[in-house]
Parts: sequence; structure tokens; C-alpha cells
Amino acid sequence: MEHTKHIWRAAFLLIAVLTFVIVGRHFLVPKSFGQAGYYRYDALFEHMDKEPRHGAPDACADCHDDIAAAKASGKHAPVQCEVCHDVLSSHIKDGDKFADMRINRNWELCAYCHQRLVGRPALIAQVDIREHLELASGQAIPAEACVQCHDKDAIHHP
Amino acid sequence: MCERSENKGVGRRDFLRLAAKGAGGMALVMVGGGHSLVSANAVREGGADRRGPMEYDPSSHRYLYVIDIDKCIGCGSCVRACERENDVPKHFFRTWIERYQVSRTGEVFVDSPNGGHDSFEPSETGADISKAFFVPKLCNHCDSTPCVQLCPVGASFVSPEGVVLVDDKRCIGCSYCVQGCPYGSRFIHPTTHTASKCTLCYHRLVRGETTACVQNCPTGARMLGDARSLGDKVAEIVATSKVHVLKPELHTEPKCFYVNASREVR
Ligand code: HEC
Ligand code: HEC
Ligand code: HEC
Ligand code: HEC
Repeated sequence: MEHTKHIWRAAFLLIAVLTFVIVGRHFLVPKSFGQAGYYRYDALFEHMDKEPRHGAPDACADCHDDIAAAKASGKHAPVQCEVCHDVLSSHIKDGDKFADMRINRNWELCAYCHQRLVGRPALIAQVDIREHLELASGQAIPAEACVQCHDKDAIHHP
Repeated sequence: MCERSENKGVGRRDFLRLAAKGAGGMALVMVGGGHSLVSANAVREGGADRRGPMEYDPSSHRYLYVIDIDKCIGCGSCVRACERENDVPKHFFRTWIERYQVSRTGEVFVDSPNGGHDSFEPSETGADISKAFFVPKLCNHCDSTPCVQLCPVGASFVSPEGVVLVDDKRCIGCSYCVQGCPYGSRFIHPTTHTASKCTLCYHRLVRGETTACVQNCPTGARMLGDARSLGDKVAEIVATSKVHVLKPELHTEPKCFYVNASREVR
């Protein structure tokens, strides 16, 4: 019976290791890990909780119904207001205006879509900006070049 | 000493060593193996555990993304919308546009200045360009994705809808996934130092809205569909047209499909 103490030692060691693993695992493996796969399930809900910045496609029409209606019957109908302005959340909080909406009058905005480019499909009207503005070579493009002729009504309803 | 231990078969020290190894092995099995059991059940129950901002069942959606190259005008509205929606840092991209210009002799010129964020300048290749087109790119949300397999801490994962996401509380920023992605769609965020990528605007999807890039595309070149929604038009495109995926030879099974893609597109 002199060997029983060896068994006790081994058993003690085993229990110690198991306790260490179980306790260690409790602290190291985050809550909800493995609930739906090899990842922290709560991470999914953290992604969900993020607030959208862009509004729904008709969000601006709630308050700017005149402009929205004009745009809907013009060629810029497929262009979202937020593309030319900014996101809804920069302008509206809890259903009310809290900050000015960006108005971008820079020619570069129009050029993003209307600059003539090799490879740009014909479905969009394209102009060579310098030619269209009849600029002499070397002359810089004025910042608000396009809105001089294409005014706001023309832009919202081209 | 030596003789005695030989006689007894296994000595005390050896026994302890073996016991320690056995316990260690068991621990590994418990830590590693336990999850697969739980996961199988959770998935089978199909989101019985519903949380989040509203009634939304992840397992009843399967999102598909379709890009029609013939409709892309390379305006960069998607890149700018993504930046605004997701706080993408300057000069990093969750989605970007490449311009392909192919000459008659077969030379291929590809450029993507600032990811197409400010659209493109008229080209100066000097070559006889015989075809040219714009190719929007983003995470392909692969079904069999290398990035998730590479993650050593379980921070990259595929959601029940098939969206590839990063758990930034768990990510250690080792960038294995950044190197492992064959499509170059991940980067290490310069301030959080964790992996960042397209989430398919997950926060918008759960609210029934479409992604920022799709919503702000002026020509409908980008489309988002749901294969689990009956009569979905975009799912119908994937089912009925000649769609192409990027790098099919890698068998990553992308959920991003290209219509009218030329063979030069990689
Ligand atoms: C194609 C780009 C574009 C789109 C699309 C667009 N806007 Fe504008 N918007 C402009 C520009 C440029 C101006 C400034 C025009 C000027 O002052 O000459 C402007 C001006 C405005 C103004 C100020 C008008 C004023 O009376 O001073 C409002 C309000 C406005 N936009 C709302 C909207 C709304 C709402 C939509 C969507 C229904 C929209 N815009 C879509 C480009 C756009
Ligand atoms: C809750 C109502 C509301 C919504 C929604 C709303 N606006 Fe406005 N907006 C206003 C008010 C109020 C003003 C200031 C009064 C005015 O001049 O009409 C304003 C003014 C503006 C202006 C002029 C600049 C300024 O801030 O004074 C622009 C441009 C504009 N809005 C664009 C937009 C766009 C684009 C959207 C959609 C993304 C939008 N608005 C959504 C209420 C709204
Ligand atoms: C996000 C892309 C986009 C931006 C930015 C944009 N447009 Fe457009 N524009 C379009 C689309 C799409 C059409 C409709 C297709 C067409 O007819 O070319 C269009 C049509 C037009 C037309 C009518 C063309 C025709 O066929 O008669 C004019 C003029 C025009 N835009 C001027 C402007 C001006 C000026 C600006 C800058 C304030 C601007 N656009 C900004 C996308 C854009
Ligand atoms: C001097 C006035 C003027 C300025 C400045 C101007 N445009 Fe125009 N634009 C015109 C006129 C006039 C037309 C022809 C109108 C029509 O056919 O409906 C036109 C037509 C267009 C068209 C449609 C072309 C087509 O093929 O149908 C686009 C796109 C356009 N302009 C974009 C711009 C852009 C972008 C800028 C700024 C860089 C700009 N325009 C500045 C006067 C101007």
C-alpha cells in the first residue's frame, strides 16, 4: 500500500491542472464565443448597433419635397441627393435640422460624372471640361465654373 | 537508479511527465473541440437567440452582390459614400474602382488613383487603347474564405448571412488576413490597429436598407440581392446571366458577381 500516495499525488496534479484549465478558459474565452461558430457572437450585434449615416433614398423628400419632386422628373433622378451634398446625419438629428447641409458648388463634383473619359460608357453625357468652358490653354478652371450656367434649378432638374 | 527504474517499468518522474502531457492534451480538446458542438446547435436553431436593434433574423438572408461593368462610369460616388458611411480613413479603401485600358497589342494598363475616390483624370497611356472599362472592387464575401481560416484568434468570421466581418475587440492586428486575402480587400486601420474591411454595411442591412455604395451608385452598376428572398431581381441575375467571379481558380467561392467582365479583370 506504499504506492497509494503516488496515485494521490497524480490525482491531485490532474485536478490542479483541470482546475487551472477550466478557470483559465473561463477568463480567456470571451462570453458568447462559439455560440454560432468559431467567433464571438456578440460581435455581430456590435456591428448591428452602428447607426447609419446615409438616410433612406427618399429621406430628403420628407422636408424638401419641392426639390425632390423636381429632381425626380429630371435627368438627375437616379443621382442621390447625398452624392452631391452630404449624408443625412450631418444635417438632421432626431428628425430636426441641427446643422447646415453641405452645398458643393465645385466643378469637380460635376466632373466626377461628366468629364469625358476613355472607357466611360456613353450612358452618361460627357463633356471635355476645358472645351466646354472655352478656356484658353493654361487658364485655371474657376472653382464654381459649372453653377454659373447650370444653376440650382438646372442642376436639380437638368 | 537507472536499473531500478528499468525494473519498475515507468518511473515516477516519467509518470508525472506523461500525466502532465495527457492533461494538457485533454485541455486542448476541451478548449478547441467544445465549440463545434455548440455552433452546430446554434446554427440549426436558426437565430433563436434574436437580439439587435430590431426584429431581424440573420439566418433568413443570404446576400449577393452584382456589378455590371458596362454600367460603371467610374465616378467614385461609391467610394466617397463608403468613406462617409463607415469612417474609412483617408487613402484606405473598403471599396475602390480600377480603370482598365487595353491596347490593340494586348498591353493592359490598370490604375486606381486614390482608389477612384475623386474619379479619374483623362488617360495618358500614349498607347492605342482598343477597349477600356471601370471595375469596382470590394470584399468578395467568400464562402470559403482564406481570411477567416488564417485568423489565429477567431476575430474574422462569416456571419449567418454569409457576410465576412471582423470582431475588432478581439483582433490583435497581426495582419495575416490582410496578406491572405487574394483580393486585397483588407487593411490595418491606422488608428485602431485592427483589421478593417467592407462589412457590406451590415448595420444598414439589418435595418432593411441597402449598402451605401449601392444606394449612391448613379447608374445601377452596383446591385445587392438576397438569395433567400423570393423573386429577388438580383438573385435572378446571378441565376440566369453569364456571371463571372474574380480569381475562380482559387475556389474561394465569392458572393460578388461580375456581369460583362473582360478576361483582363483579375
Ligand atoms: C447633381 C448634384 C445634386 C443633386 C443630385 C442634388 N443637389 Fe441640391 N444642390 C446642388 C448644387 C450644386 C447646389 C448649389 C446650387 C447653386 O447654388 O447654384 C444645390 C443646392 C441645394 C439647396 C439649396 C438651394 C437654395 O435655395 O439655396 C438645397 C436645399 C438642395 N440643394 C437640396 C437638395 C435635395 C433635397 C436633393 C435631393 C432631392 C438635392 N439637392 C440633390 C447639387 C445637387
Ligand atoms: C427634417 C427635415 C429635413 C430633412 C429630412 C432634410 N432637410 Fe435639408 N433642410 C431642412 C431645413 C429646415 C433647412 C433650412 C430651411 C430652408 O432653407 O429650407 C434645410 C436646408 C437644407 C439645405 C440648405 C443649406 C442649409 O443647411 O441651410 C440643403 C442643401 C439641404 N437642406 C439638403 C438636404 C438633403 C440633401 C437632405 C437629405 C439627405 C435633407 N436636406 C434632409 C430640413 C430638412
Ligand atoms: C453622381 C453622378 C453625377 C454628378 C455628380 C452630376 N451628374 Fe449630371 N447627370 C448624371 C446622370 C446619371 C445624368 C443622366 C444621364 C445623362 O443624360 O447623362 C446626368 C445628366 C446631366 C445633364 C443632362 C445631360 C443631357 O443628357 O442633356 C446635365 C446638363 C448635367 N447632368 C449637369 C450636371 C452638373 C452641372 C453637375 C454638377 C453640379 C452634375 N451634372 C453632377 C450624373 C451626375
Ligand atoms: C457658359 C455656360 C456654361 C458653363 C459655365 C457650363 N455649361 Fe454645361 N452646358 C451649357 C449649355 C448651354 C449646354 C447645352 C444645354 C443643352 O443642350 O441642354 C450645356 C450642356 C452640358 C452637358 C450636357 C452635354 C450633352 O452632351 O448633352 C453637361 C454634362 C454639362 N453641360 C456639364 C457641365 C459641367 C460639368 C460644367 C462645369 C465644368 C459646365 N457644364 C459648365 C452651358 C454651360
